[in-house]
This record gives sequence, structure tokens and C-alpha cells, in this order.
Amino acid sequence: MLTSRRALLAAGAALPFLRAEHASAQRQPGVLRFGLSSFPPSIQPWVSTGTAAGTVKLLIHRGLTSYDATGKLQGEIAESWSNEGPNAWVFRLRDNVVFHNGERLTSEDVKWTIEQIAGERSTAYYRGEMQGVERVETPDPRTVRFVMKAPSAVLPDWLASYHLPICWRGSPANAPVGCGPFVLRGQERGVSLDLVAFDRYYRPGLPKLRGIRMVAYADENLRVAALQAGDVDLIEYVPWQSMATIEADPKLRLDSTDGPFMYLTFNGTRGPLVDARVRRAISLAVKRDEIVKAAFFGRGSPLTGLPVPPGSDFFDASLAQGTGYDPDRARALLLEAGVPGGFQTSLLSTAQYGMHKDTAEIVQQNLAAIGIQCEMRLPDWATRVNLGNRSQFDIAVMGTATDSNDPDGIARLVDGSLPPSFIRSAGIRVPRLEQLFAQGRSEFDPARRRAIYVEAQKVGLEEAPIVGLAWRSQGYAMQRDVTGFKALPGALNFFSGITLEQTAFG
Amino acid sequence: MLWAIRRIGVALLLVWIVASVVFVVIHLVPGDPAELLLSAGGIAPDPVAVEELRERLGLNRPLLEQYLAFLSGVVRGDLGQSIVDDASVAEEILLRLPRTLELILAGTLLSILVGIPAGTWAALHRGGAFDRAASWLAALLQAVPVFVLGTLLVLTFAVLLRWMPAGGYVPLAQDPGRHLLLLTLPALAIAKGLIAVVFRMTRAATLDSLSRDYVRTARAKGLSPARVLLRHVLRNALIPIVTVLALQMGTLLGGTVLVEYVFNWPGLSSPLLRAVEARDYPMVVGIVLTISVLFVALNLAMDLVYAALDPRIRRA
Repeated sequence: MLTSRRALLAAGAALPFLRAEHASAQRQPGVLRFGLSSFPPSIQPWVSTGTAAGTVKLLIHRGLTSYDATGKLQGEIAESWSNEGPNAWVFRLRDNVVFHNGERLTSEDVKWTIEQIAGERSTAYYRGEMQGVERVETPDPRTVRFVMKAPSAVLPDWLASYHLPICWRGSPANAPVGCGPFVLRGQERGVSLDLVAFDRYYRPGLPKLRGIRMVAYADENLRVAALQAGDVDLIEYVPWQSMATIEADPKLRLDSTDGPFMYLTFNGTRGPLVDARVRRAISLAVKRDEIVKAAFFGRGSPLTGLPVPPGSDFFDASLAQGTGYDPDRARALLLEAGVPGGFQTSLLSTAQYGMHKDTAEIVQQNLAAIGIQCEMRLPDWATRVNLGNRSQFDIAVMGTATDSNDPDGIARLVDGSLPPSFIRSAGIRVPRLEQLFAQGRSEFDPARRRAIYVEAQKVGLEEAPIVGLAWRSQGYAMQRDVTGFKALPGALNFFSGITLEQTAFG
Repeated sequence: MLWAIRRIGVALLLVWIVASVVFVVIHLVPGDPAELLLSAGGIAPDPVAVEELRERLGLNRPLLEQYLAFLSGVVRGDLGQSIVDDASVAEEILLRLPRTLELILAGTLLSILVGIPAGTWAALHRGGAFDRAASWLAALLQAVPVFVLGTLLVLTFAVLLRWMPAGGYVPLAQDPGRHLLLLTLPALAIAKGLIAVVFRMTRAATLDSLSRDYVRTARAKGLSPARVLLRHVLRNALIPIVTVLALQMGTLLGGTVLVEYVFNWPGLSSPLLRAVEARDYPMVVGIVLTISVLFVALNLAMDLVYAALDPRIRRA
């Protein structure tokens, strides 16, 4: 007993010394410590493996184009571009781009990259889109000409994606060489990644940091605690419940934008959900404010119709009028559709993510109020994805962000001609909508494009292939002395990692 | 000798059954690794790309064929590669298992250091203020879920007092001081239940020993109270405590999942969790197999030790 008491006392006495050591083990000069929400399953450049991987890719790689901190499309490896007729795009490359292995970038690297992505055995995210490229021509080392099979106005937007970086043409299959501002120096699987500044990066004076250490904190509360304790300088995916605390902390800063969104998908292969009036009734029955309040702690805003963010050139405020909560009209629509008093159905969501579950619970309550009784299904995420892809659901809650702020990205969510997927409704085809999106993609005139997408939003509200629920705020939080990092607006929020080249302390 | 061989045979059989059950169950659970990998972040992958990946990963082969390949791998000591990033399953386990074991060992040590002295003291002063307070605390410790305690510890020591980092890991070789500092909170969290168990066991066993005739005899002989306590009471009380400790160390393996998550301790749990979420079949099976081998080995070792101690068990 005595010895143990002594040991306890000794341990207690040692604490202050340990604390001093902790203080000295803090920040290394010029090295930013970034708290990731999850460890990237892989950082292969062209494959989509989540947003955490996206942030890492934005450090190591660069594409032909990119987005600046305000979300505007800008030149990256390409210093300028223009379209030559409806089917061709010409990109003029910078002359000072060097890969991490010291090789100079030429148009051949661009051609090679696109061929890899479109290749037969490719698992790249933009595989389908790049198969729409008929050929890539390289008239000289600094000029690339994309010849498309069909006119595409959005090619420069696609090329800004972090899924489409340009890699060195001699790269081995498992170790693609990039030309981004940082070089991956080491990693421990599942734990951390260490990156150092690339001294031959093509933007003079950048990156400002000497290095970045990325540590995965899967537990969102621990991620916030690590920031508050000063263990890390910057965190992504700030949980909504912590946003107010962080804003109130004088040492910390929150940078958040509405970007991703929640919505409902339907199985239109059977039952009453085949009828657009029933889907519209569901839209009218949901109290979106409650979702924002309960699932996102007020950090978000209601979304009706297709996810075109307010503030976008393509947004038309008048469309949303009369589409809010209206249970009487919802009941009337059910009556019209031949299911007066509602029906029994099921609602698929997941218990793995709080926001999906909370959203589903409110939808369930709201639908019960107009007589639609939903049996709730809350499997883990993997099962939920599987059921969605196999169209084994009736109504499902989903959350995602589009690929860019261009409305073309919405097509993936509503185009019923695409193969079944958990992000889309099953078996609901709206030919008019498919036609409008195809038209928008091949239209180069901004005013005419706007008219097309406003019309698409109108059709989207009438046919309700999906039902928008809420925008959710997506936040980064950092120590006050971290400067230059900026959360990009709207759907581009997950591209914010690109501003890490400008990030510095003080 | 024959008994020991039979017992080892049963242990091996158990391991094989566990491995097979895990293999079959994880494959039967809905969810497709190729599909999941390519749809991370809520996007729809190109079905052709998914099919391509499935083919490349060998997921299109019949389940029996995959099972036999897995078994022949295990026999050769090859646990395969992660579906997600081709990492070697065996290497991942070799890297992380020692960290989990360290956590368990630290937790066990902590519970011995606290539980045995406190239990003895409480038994010696039965019904006293310390006994009542400690019994109450032990009940509380057992009732509080480990993640609640973990979060409270982080909040108190990392966020409010700033004495410690909020979690993480530094290898012992790199910075021993910081390594131990980072070990403190998770070890405390994992030890909390065991402290209560050891305390109760010690208290009960000590009370039991105290009332025995040999203790009365020892006292009557005029031995000093300290000698009676250490040589006669505690020594006898230790037998059930050691049994419970050995059993509990096995269950701690399961308890580390939450603790490692809450404190970002990169042991075996986080790859297991990630592997289940991603349906990374070889990784799940490899890790569960390792844990069950440990469990079975621990029990086997205990059985063999008991048998050595007590001939009745061998003959039974």
C-alpha cells in the first residue's frame, strides 16, 4: 500500500514535467498540422476515394485548370484555353512546370494522362467523360488540343477536378508522379501522412509552408478537441454541434460554406412512388427547417427542388416559391394520385452517420402526418450503398455534393438513363430533363445555358425525380494565426485544399 | 502428455472454426468492397470500372475457391493483401498488434497497482469510510461507459487543463516521454472497469482469507500484522485474482476498440473498424483471426498451467 501510494505521488509529481515536454513537442516551424476526418483509403490520382483523399491529392497534384479561392475557374498547368468550334478545346501550357522527379511537363504528359483515365482497364472517376474525348493532339510541347466526340461546354470544369490531375508519362502504375506544391515524403497507413514543400513548384514563392503533417482523427469530437488543445492547426469536417463553440473561442476561427446537401431518392419501379404527384406530395410534407435544426444544429438552409445553390448564376429565386411545407396540398395530391390517406412504405438511411439518421427520422415523422407510414431501415453505410445500387428500397435519404458549381454536375443525380446507383432514384426517367442536361452540356452561350438550366429546375420540381431537403454547412476550423486558407464556396468546398499552397502562419 | 496434445488440438480446431465463420459471415453481409471503394464521398462510380476492379481483386471467383485460397494462405502464414490499398495484412497486424497489447498491459498494470492495494485496505477496514467510498466508486466506474469516460478525460486533461495532447501516438523509440504521456489517458480509460473488478475481487478474497483458521493461527503465533497480511492473507487471496486478471485481459482486447477510437491510438482496432466499413475482407479476417488466436492461446496457457498445478484437471 505504501509503495503504491508513493508511486502514485511520484506519478503525480512527474505530471508538470511531462507537461513541459508536451509544450516543447509542439509545432515545428513552418509545418502545418492538418486534422483529417478519415485516412484516405488510397491516393491514386484519378480514382475517387473520398474527400480526405481529395485534399491530399490537391497537395501533390495539379490539373490543367483549377478553382481560385472565390470558386472561379482559373488556369493551372494551362495558362490559357479556348474552344475551336463546338468540338475542340485548345490548352496552352505553362513553360515552367516540373514534376517531382525533375522532369519537365509537356503536352505529351497531358495526352498520356487522358489515355490512362479513358483506358480499357481504368477505374478512374472521369473514365466515362474522358472516353468522350475522341483524341488528344499535341501540335507542340506547350499546346494540347482535345477533340471531343460531342460538343462539351464543361470540359474545362471537368479538368479542374482533383480526380483529373496530370501525371508524368513515365510514371509506374502504382506510383504516379505529380507536379503539385507538396511532395509526399512518408505515411503510416491509417494514421498520418507527411508532406514537404516542392522547391521547384511552378508558382513563384509558393508554397509558403515548409511542410504539412496530416493526421487522421476519425472521431469528430476528438478532432475538435485536438484543435482546441493545440495538437493540430487546422481541421476539416467540423461537426455542426461544435461550430458555435469554435466561433466563440478567441483562439480559433471557423470558415464554412453551404455546399453539400441532403435529398430523397425514390424507387420508381413499383408502387405509388411511380407517380410524380406522390413524390411532389412528399416534398410538400417535409418540414425542411426542422431538418436544418435537428440534423445540422441550424448550420444549413432548406433546399427545395434541384440543388442549384442560391448565389449561382443559374439560380432563380422565383422557382422555389410555393414549394415549401404545405400538408393540405400534399394530401390533395395524394387524393389525386389515387392514394388518399397515404400508404405503407419503407425509408432507407444509415445509422452510421448521424446526419443521415436524424434527417430520416424527421422525414418519417413528417410523412406520417400525411398518412405515409414509413418503416425505417438503418443498416451500416456499406449495406445502405449496396441496397441503393440494387434498387432495394422505396424511399431513401442521401447526402452528397456535386462535382462543381456548374449545374451540369446535377445530371448525375437525376439522369435516369444512367445505370442504377445509390445516389439516384431507381427507374424514374424524365426524358425532358435528360434532354435539357444534354443541351446544356453542348451549349456555349452563357445566357442560353442559364435559360436551359432554369427550365431544368422547373421540370425537376414538377417531376420530382429527387426531392431536395437541406443544404448543409461544411466547415474548416483553424488556429487564429493560420492565414491564407479559405473554404471554397458551394460544391467546391471539398476543393478547399488547393488554398493550402497559400497557407502560412502569422 | 496426451491430455496436453488433445487440448492443443482442440485449440487449433477452435481457431479454424473462428476463421471460417468470420470468412463466411463477412462475405455474406451485404456490401461490395469494389463498389464501396469507388463510391467514397457519395458519388456514383462507372459500373464498368467497378466490374473491372472486382475482377482485378478476384471477387468474382466462387466463394469456395476464395475460401480455399484463404486457407492455403493461412497455412503458409500468408494473410493476403488489403482490398483497399494492397497493404500486406500480416505487416499491418505486426505493426499494430504490439500497440494494442501495450495498451492492455498498461491498463492491467494500472488496475493491479490501484485495485489490489485499495481492495486490501477496504477489506482490512471493512465498513469504514474508505471501504464505502471505494465500493461506491467501483460501482460508478463499472457503470460509466468507456467512451463517456474517455471523452471526459480528453475534455478535462487536453482541452481544459492542457496537460496532455488530445490523443495520438508517438513511437517509444522516437520520444519515450511523449509516448508514455500519450499512453496515460487511454490506459486509464481501458483500466477503469478492470480496476473495479480487481478491487472487488481483492476485497472479497481478502475478507475470505481473513476469516480462515490459518490466519487465526498465524496471529496466535504472534506474527506481525504485516507478515500475516502479506504471507498468509494476500498470497492466498491472489489465486482468484490472477484467474480473473487472465480472463479479463482477453476481454480487454475487445474493449480496446472504443478506447483506441476515442484517443486515436493506432492499434489493431482502427484498421479492423475501417476494414469492416470498407468490407476489406482479407483485413477483417486476418485481424479477427489474430485476436482469436491470442484469446485461444491465453486460455490454452491457463489450462496448461492449471493442469501442472492441479493433477485433478489432467485426469478429468
